[in-house]
Amino acid sequence: MLEERIQAYLSQKLARSDAVIVSDLWRIPGGASRETWSFDAAWREDGCEVRRGFILRRDPDASLLETDRDVEFRVMDAVVGCGIPVPKMYWLETDGAALDRPFFMMERIDGCETSPTKVLMDPRFFPARERLAQQFVAVLARIHAFDWRAAGLDSLGVPASEAECGMREIEKWEAVVDRDALEPQPVLRAAFRWLRRRLPPPAQRLVLVHADYRTGNFLCDSEGEIKGVLDWEMTHIGDPMEDVAWSSMRPWRWLGDEKISGLMERDDFFRRYERAAGLTVDATAVRFWELLGNVKFAAILLSGGRSFCDGRTRNPLMALVGRNVGRLELEIMDLMGV
Amino acid sequence: MRPTGLESIRAAKAALAEVIFPELTSAFAQDVAQTVQMLLESLAGEWDSAPANLQHDNEALLQLLGAAREALKGAGRNESISSAVTEVEDRLGDRSDGLSLAELTARNDALRATLERILIVLEDITGAPGSEAIDAVRRDIYAHLRSVAVRGWSFWDITSFRGRMAEIRSPGMTGAQP
Repeated sequence: MLEERIQAYLSQKLARSDAVIVSDLWRIPGGASRETWSFDAAWREDGCEVRRGFILRRDPDASLLETDRDVEFRVMDAVVGCGIPVPKMYWLETDGAALDRPFFMMERIDGCETSPTKVLMDPRFFPARERLAQQFVAVLARIHAFDWRAAGLDSLGVPASEAECGMREIEKWEAVVDRDALEPQPVLRAAFRWLRRRLPPPAQRLVLVHADYRTGNFLCDSEGEIKGVLDWEMTHIGDPMEDVAWSSMRPWRWLGDEKISGLMERDDFFRRYERAAGLTVDATAVRFWELLGNVKFAAILLSGGRSFCDGRTRNPLMALVGRNVGRLELEIMDLMGV
Repeated sequence: MRPTGLESIRAAKAALAEVIFPELTSAFAQDVAQTVQMLLESLAGEWDSAPANLQHDNEALLQLLGAAREALKGAGRNESISSAVTEVEDRLGDRSDGLSLAELTARNDALRATLERILIVLEDITGAPGSEAIDAVRRDIYAHLRSVAVRGWSFWDITSFRGRMAEIRSPGMTGAQP
């Protein structure tokens, strides 16, 4: 039983404690790249009873994203307490000895929502929409202001120059398409060619890029306060416009209109970001990164389809997404202007 | 008449929604069941039309490749163009007329692979003086790719990802941290 094994693991980790009890273990839906479990743990420490909520993120058999859990853990651990809201990170296990597969455990932040349906459509959240829009921009600006060098995150890999960010990401995602596409991809191949010929201006500065910053990847309360930014699996050092453009992509315009991440109009988002980050939002750069973002998203879906067809997973989501990249292709062709 | 494939898929989907789903107690199992429903909906959406669509696409691709070959012949000669023309001619000469889904799909993949390569060659020379024929073929290729792409099921349109999420009614979801 997973519950008992978690209990045994915590008993080792909380050496000064006794009588560790794990309860209310349940698997959280979604989490296409890692299994996500919630549980409570209670124990006695120095004579006092302690009770805490935990999140377990465990490697899946196969996933949409083949990412390194060490990176996610290390970056979240580095930014905690630096003005960027993230759950506190507890333990990382890179071998499967304790729970069959590598995993990490982190703090559970209660009383918040992540679901775009709840955050954007539940009337409880309507009065908080403006506050949430402000927070959305402010937190992104803080991520981009984070001193990653001082935190030792140059180990993530640093582009040789500000001009190299675009090509690095093209090569990264083209390699994913090369590896995982099961069918010819004329639209994606034409898009890669388009991108290579229209590299963006050099990044205004090299920043920590979250790389999946959007509504749905943060925890917020009904006051519109962002309490935790999640899903740092693709984080890297690069161009801040990459995050600005990713946030702006059509798939995250949840309300079916043009509002960025369902929160604010595009021009408004850009103006707010410029003020908060002290950077200029360059339309040429955003177009490049938005197109590359859609290509990257398509590549991620192709990876899901590949893992299903290779028999590495029976997750029906992988079959579903691997069959359906057509709407992304339309968006890509629109952005290419063809 | 016995139940058709489409009717059978819809029966499976209905059983999942009406019988199995209400019995599921965990939010994760409910989520998987909903995903399976969407997958079945996606399959049902193309069940009847898949062979006809593939056959139509394959004919359209043959026409586009033929037009590309003619346009490239008038575009001057370099190694890239010459090998592209050769590849198109090989592909056009490869007549397979199987009508099973697997045969139609294999044919479609082969034609799209050639189109993928030709499109890049066309992109390299489009817009140059005297490239009107190239420009026209390129336009037609993108129009075809659009007509195929728009056919697909998507999270955002048909069932609607938002709609799907709104359907999830599990108290256990509150405070979730996916």
